[in-house]
Amino acid sequence: MELLFFALSLGLYLVAAAAFIGHITTGRVLAHRVALVALTAAFALDTFGVVLRLSSVGLGALGTFHDQLSLLAWLIVGLYLGLQWRAPLAVLGALVTPLAFLLTLSSYIVFSGADRLPAELDTAWLPAHVAPAFLGYAIFALASCVSLVYLLQERQLKAKRRGRFRLPSLETLDDLNYRCVAWGFALFTIGIVTGSLLAKAAWGTFWSWEPVQVLSVLAWLLYAGLLQARSIGWRGRRAATLTLVGFALLVVSLISLNIGLPHGRSFG
Amino acid sequence: MNQPDVLIVGLSHRTASLDVREAVAFADDQIDDVNRQLRALDGVDEAAVVCTCNRVEVVSSTREGPQVAERIAAFLRRADSGPGADLAPHLYQYWGRDAVRHLFRVASSLDSMVVGEPQILGQLKQFYTRAAGVGTTGAVLHRWFHKAFSVAKRVRTETGIAGRAVSVSSAAVELATDIFDHLAGKTAMLIGTGKMGALAARHLMANGVGNLIATNRTFERAVDVAREFKATPVPFEQFPKYLPMADIVIGSAAAGEFVLGEAQVQEALRERKGRPMFCIDLSVPRSFDPRINALDNVYLYDMDDLSKVAADNLGERAREAEKAETIVVEEVESFYRWLGHLEVVPTIVALRDKVEAIRRGELQKTLNQLKDLGPRERELLDVMTTAIVNKILHAPIARLKQQDRRAETFYLDAARRLFDLEEPDES
Repeated sequence: MELLFFALSLGLYLVAAAAFIGHITTGRVLAHRVALVALTAAFALDTFGVVLRLSSVGLGALGTFHDQLSLLAWLIVGLYLGLQWRAPLAVLGALVTPLAFLLTLSSYIVFSGADRLPAELDTAWLPAHVAPAFLGYAIFALASCVSLVYLLQERQLKAKRRGRFRLPSLETLDDLNYRCVAWGFALFTIGIVTGSLLAKAAWGTFWSWEPVQVLSVLAWLLYAGLLQARSIGWRGRRAATLTLVGFALLVVSLISLNIGLPHGRSFG
Repeated sequence: MNQPDVLIVGLSHRTASLDVREAVAFADDQIDDVNRQLRALDGVDEAAVVCTCNRVEVVSSTREGPQVAERIAAFLRRADSGPGADLAPHLYQYWGRDAVRHLFRVASSLDSMVVGEPQILGQLKQFYTRAAGVGTTGAVLHRWFHKAFSVAKRVRTETGIAGRAVSVSSAAVELATDIFDHLAGKTAMLIGTGKMGALAARHLMANGVGNLIATNRTFERAVDVAREFKATPVPFEQFPKYLPMADIVIGSAAAGEFVLGEAQVQEALRERKGRPMFCIDLSVPRSFDPRINALDNVYLYDMDDLSKVAADNLGERAREAEKAETIVVEEVESFYRWLGHLEVVPTIVALRDKVEAIRRGELQKTLNQLKDLGPRERELLDVMTTAIVNKILHAPIARLKQQDRRAETFYLDAARRLFDLEEPDES
């Protein structure tokens, strides 16, 4: 049953990604519609999957790498579809959709069958930590896609080369990046606080120099600096680059959490 | 009964020079009369004249042959007031698919002098409305024109035929919208009084740029420019002070030295807190230091860069036009199929065939069960069912055969739907 779901949503992501790329390279409106329909269908399917998983395994399901990856894919696609109502940026879809495809595919690959968390983690703090933290990750992922488009557009403008298709304006992208980073930062902050409370509840200490903690705090500092530096003129290309660096830190921290570094207090 | 066909007779910038087109063109207040006279021509079922500075064309439908085109041509010749001008070499006529394709190409601006220019669609709509207003159009032209409008819309949304700027100053506007979200509320600064600079400023203001600051070495000239553009003049020595306000800086000074340097822009950027600047250097030789482009958040384009963008875009338009032609071909087929289905006879035949097939089938079923019937009874049953079918079909078929064009399409559509006859493709 779950396997069928996986195959189906993977297929839909693939169709949506191909259609998005088709739309931005040929400009065909039909391709855009196909992409949105396929993506919405994949999202609906994943929503069903997430609900099913939560109801069968409970909140503990939020702890495995497999679940984290599919949760991320689901959140990112949901955010993009939400954004789509306000600002239809097809080129962003062409990045978000392959990302969702890769996340879903890797979530399948890392599926180990062990779906439960250590019992000590299964407290009320777990959802309070996972929900804001992952929403924050998803928003940062979206910001990174926006940043990539920004860097592409800025490079084209500097080099005086024009692409076959028109990208959104620098101002639009920079503004969107700023909003994403601000919202992501707020949620991520909550996630870090509740995360340390969770650590306290589970192991009796707020802070234990684990890679996930160190990297998260580094990323947090970087994003805090990024938001501050905007007022002294660090925007545009620098902001886009830093957004990507911060996201890279988060990706590494998420992996370190799950591949069970020697410390051995991994979730998965 | 002849099948309705479509016909376009006319001339355009491709076949006739401006003086010929001027001689044939109708004045605006003549259009209604011209439409009525065209409709009154023998064999013309529906007619609408289209008359722009680049073309004079009569769009019509008829059930007769080439002589109708001759009559329309003669009508246009009569309208030609030039002494002894011979229109024959300039006139073209398109029939059937070619006519459908021609109107679709005109609407999509593929036949325009500047391919992709947007005015023609509005003009077509206007001329169609005029003709519809005096009742010289019917089902065929109604459908044909509206299909042309939707083809044009499809071409516009699915190809970049009108999407790219093909002149230096519109390229500047296009690049500005690649940098800025929208131009409304943005401020531009014009340094110098050259023609190209003024043109670019005009384009930018037409696209929403709200404020213009003008400066020049000779302050009086800056004041002149400022008056023309409702801009704010500032003395040349003071322009760096105003530079941070400028989102767009246009250079149009015959200087021989750089009037805008790297340090000045860097200073302005600091005050702008990194908000981007677009510098357009339209002077030859250049008046902005090219090193400005290396600064973060500043984009400097000179005359060569802009010409290259415009030339690239022109090439892009040509490629997009090919895509548009494919769309037109698809749509021509779909429209032409519909036109073919306008013919009444095939519908009636299909209707009769269908009902007859039902009658035979049901009769056979009944006869199979009544094996002991004699030949006479069998024949009577056959006659009776035939009579029922004919009586039922009589009124609908009579209605379908009516000559009124508008009603005819309606009933044909209705008959096809009600009796589930093979649906014409009307996408």
